[in-house]
Amino acid sequence: MEMTRKDFLQTLAGVAATAGISKFSASAEASKAKIKRGVTLYSYTGDFKMGTMNLEDCIADVADMGAEGIEILGESHVTDYPNPSDKWVEQWNGLMNKYRTKPSCYDSFVDSMLRKDKTLTMQETLDMLVRDFKVAKKLGYKIIRPTFGKSPLAVTDVIERSLPLLEQYDLKMAIEMHSPVIIKSEYMDSLMALISKTKTKRFGFATDMSIFTKRPPRHWEAERVEMGAHQNIIDYIRTAYQNNLGPEKTMAEVKKMGGNDVDLQWASIAGVYHFSWNPPKDLLPIMPYIYHIHGKFWEMTEELHEYSIPYEEVIPVLLQGGCEAYFSSEYEGPRTLFRASSQLRRHHAMLRQLLKEV
Amino acid sequence: MPENDNILDRGFKNISQNGNVSGFQLDIKTGYYRGTYLSLVEGFEVTVDGETFTREQTKFMIGGHMYVLDELANLTDARWPFQETATLIISKPSGLKVGMHDVQVVQKTRVSYMPVQPSVYTFRKKIALVL
Repeated sequence: MEMTRKDFLQTLAGVAATAGISKFSASAEASKAKIKRGVTLYSYTGDFKMGTMNLEDCIADVADMGAEGIEILGESHVTDYPNPSDKWVEQWNGLMNKYRTKPSCYDSFVDSMLRKDKTLTMQETLDMLVRDFKVAKKLGYKIIRPTFGKSPLAVTDVIERSLPLLEQYDLKMAIEMHSPVIIKSEYMDSLMALISKTKTKRFGFATDMSIFTKRPPRHWEAERVEMGAHQNIIDYIRTAYQNNLGPEKTMAEVKKMGGNDVDLQWASIAGVYHFSWNPPKDLLPIMPYIYHIHGKFWEMTEELHEYSIPYEEVIPVLLQGGCEAYFSSEYEGPRTLFRASSQLRRHHAMLRQLLKEV
Repeated sequence: MPENDNILDRGFKNISQNGNVSGFQLDIKTGYYRGTYLSLVEGFEVTVDGETFTREQTKFMIGGHMYVLDELANLTDARWPFQETATLIISKPSGLKVGMHDVQVVQKTRVSYMPVQPSVYTFRKKIALVL
């Protein structure tokens, strides 16, 4: 999934009064930092869908944490997408102004399988990208994160063809580095080769914290057990993942243990191997091309640790490398109503400490 | 399968045509996390108290338009906006009895970046039918 952002400022007093935040709030200090806090409104998916929170509630919730960057999914958060009315755009600008928030990254999707019988051509792919470039620009975003569907087109060709269009719309494109991506891989090398070949300043990465998953989220494991998986096999799969055994060997072993379909699915690339682990220092060589960060998380404990992702090992590397980007929290745990809001607060309390805001 | 809020309590009722009960309707939210073009929606399979209704018995209504499921494949411009409630209309002469029903809806949507097509979302809920 994806996100985006924009800009507006109002008088300090007006903002403080309307948004209910103190003029000595953290956001003023944070704005000088190279890494700024933000939230992708995808985090509120459950509440937003069911109507317990509307767009303004989500933005107000982010501002209440002293965070600045608002990331959205065009297809979820823009009324009358892909053709928002001028009135809606005005309201959007008004919300950014009122809560002193800024557009950070706009997420779009390239539905390569829009039709069942054939995938999109190169021209249709570029048209679909431009459809969202226009919306993103209208809302004040400078960074767009498209997610490409499966296609016979080489993603490097699509990106290269999109560079002049990014120039035209004055946008940067950030491709998500999401698990199971490995930083030291042919895939990442091919993207870096494109950057050095074209010398573009328009293309880079949205790094998702899922590539630093040390152990799988425990509520996912519990769900599998509820669905009929064996606890001893789920325990085995966790150890296999941590030992980097790989899906083939893990599945073979699970078969020997008498695993059922649920066990086998969890042992596969669709299960635990959907996550990946990278040494955080591997980020250093690509740091200048990190345009956006997805602070993916599933469970913040009361001790303010993410259960699966060791943020305390990753953020120091980002600070060391001089990363300049929004750190956009992406809650992806259970969609229980009202849960995102409290989990996000734990996440931001942790982030403020790790980012040396306190 | 745990109970799921994607099936709404409100809107579950019998419907009539020419004075005769012709079936029932059910309101749902999408199982996916964003709005999509209708061509990506491959279909819905509704089961009530163990009785599964066919594709031909099932119609999909969004934004005031009613579609038979086979029409959706060609609708590459019409959308199911993320927050919008859709209605499934099921043909069933004489409808459902007033009282508790075990309702299951399976939604199939193509998500182009997923390794397996389509993505399958299963919702289940016990709901009381009043009218």
